[in-house]
Amino acid sequence: MKKNLIASAVAATLLAAPFAASAGEAELLARIDKMAAEQEQLKAELKASLQKTAVIEQKQQELASAAAPAIAAATTPAPSAAIAASGPTTIIGGYGEINYNRPSKNASAAQTDVRRAVIGIEHRFDDKTKLVSEFEWEHAIASATDSGESAIEQLYVERQFGNGLRGKAGLFLIPAGLLNTNHEPTAYYGVERNFVETAIIPSTWREAGVGLSGDTDSGLAWDAGITTGFDLGKWDAASSDGRESPLGAIHQEGQLAKSRDLSVHGALNWRGVPGLLLGGSLFSGKVGHKTEGYTANDARVTMYDLHARYTPGLWDLAGVYARGQISNTAALNLTLVGNPTPVPKAFAGWYLQAAYQAYKADDYVLSPFVRYEQYNTAKSYEALPQGLGVAPQADEKVTTVGANLKVGEGVVLKADYQKFKEDKTRDRLNLGVGFSY
Amino acid sequence: MRYRLCLPLAAGLACLPAYAVQYLSVEQVQKLAYPDATAYRAQDVALSLAQMQQVEKLAGLPARSVNWRVFGAYNGDKLLGYLVLDDVIGKFELISYAVALNPDASIRQVEILAYRESHGSEIRLPAWRRQFAGKSASTGGLTLGGGIANISGATLSASHLTDGVRRIAAIAQLVLKP
Repeated sequence: MKKNLIASAVAATLLAAPFAASAGEAELLARIDKMAAEQEQLKAELKASLQKTAVIEQKQQELASAAAPAIAAATTPAPSAAIAASGPTTIIGGYGEINYNRPSKNASAAQTDVRRAVIGIEHRFDDKTKLVSEFEWEHAIASATDSGESAIEQLYVERQFGNGLRGKAGLFLIPAGLLNTNHEPTAYYGVERNFVETAIIPSTWREAGVGLSGDTDSGLAWDAGITTGFDLGKWDAASSDGRESPLGAIHQEGQLAKSRDLSVHGALNWRGVPGLLLGGSLFSGKVGHKTEGYTANDARVTMYDLHARYTPGLWDLAGVYARGQISNTAALNLTLVGNPTPVPKAFAGWYLQAAYQAYKADDYVLSPFVRYEQYNTAKSYEALPQGLGVAPQADEKVTTVGANLKVGEGVVLKADYQKFKEDKTRDRLNLGVGFSY
Repeated sequence: MRYRLCLPLAAGLACLPAYAVQYLSVEQVQKLAYPDATAYRAQDVALSLAQMQQVEKLAGLPARSVNWRVFGAYNGDKLLGYLVLDDVIGKFELISYAVALNPDASIRQVEILAYRESHGSEIRLPAWRRQFAGKSASTGGLTLGGGIANISGATLSASHLTDGVRRIAAIAQLVLKP
């Protein structure tokens, strides 16, 4: 290394020689002095960076060797030493997915999208307090002239209390369904997230507020919280957003969220039998926020779900039922007559999914899956005078068949085909790559 | 690859203690695993290269470490079994656990000493941990999805802990079993 530096210094000097000669010997000497000084500086920098590398390598080795905590030669077992294994204080994680969709009846609408890229940072302040954050970009570019989005997906502090309870405050995920709190592409089957947990449960669904969680030895885990809720004032009856996802159209996502009316939620999950998860959740809150002159100040969103997942052996079976209601919307809908998308009274959906780990070799795991789902974002409307109402939608039924190929723990390649019963123009082939670390 | 940034590392300082729910101390695990034990003797294991290769073959996993923290549990002079202490990484952070083994190298029980992440602490559930009891490297049934049921929402923790236990079962089979 040192030799290389000297060689290049000499070469540089030689190259510079013709100019130096014409410029005089004194100048040449000055140049050599300058180069020598630069070389000294480079040497010092190299030494410093080598030292830094050594420290990092040493730390990495410590971590890699599972950081076997120094349990002082086992003669004096020091439990506190075992527990206080030095761990990281700040962890960077992330996930992302890049998807390709090709409608089978309209190939010209085929699209490729950097669906999302997320950077997560967790920071531990002390042994009981930490910050969890997730920063997301959707659709590759977010600017005034692009359709991408940049969002804070999670930003909360969590504190563990002595009695096993955990409290959190900030912007956090609502524990509804199976996917919302577990939404990394490596965690679910299929290129796209299922419809029930995007159109009915508006994942990734987060609210700002406070929450408390706990669990018991019998396998029961519970969550409860008070958070911001939805803002019905955002409903745009002229657009189709509300038809794609009623709650997705009025969520506030922690952005200057109207908070006159707060919402409450609760969830129970039971894992008393290995491989089995049974659970449900409820979320409810008013959505009018006592807005002056607003016709739906008594409107309330109530969303509940029941979910189950069973993983016997190589099988992975899952099912979710979710139903949402928006009450007291008749007067509001009367003002929206003539628009294509009034506020629905009820929206609901369910799916059943079966996956099987068919092939495993080295780092590759291939799991074919099939999912059948049925959902309706406008199952019913509150009664309007004859001739003014909009007819409820028919249930959409989607069958998805495909496979996930996991490469190691962090990478997944996906392919599937989706067949729609109602709107057959939506039939499509999907390909995707996702990662999570 | 996971990036672990240890902020104090940059300053050359030791890291802060881990975010941990400490469920059990080593003494508590010792009492829990062998209530009849009158003495525990440190019997730490240092694997030879050949042994590490055998462990890898038997467990289907790299042996990872040469040195293993092992206690022999005794009632008087009678060997009741062994207790092996280890840590595996869940998603980001270490799970501290102990495997109690019978003298014939079959698993007696698995206990979690500390779990540090927000999600996945379901591996502590007694019903889930009971799946390991009675199994050994020779009986098999110590892989996730092959004898040990997965925990949805805690796949990484469940999978890494299962791998850790399988590795210890292999070490016990090769080194501890008389």
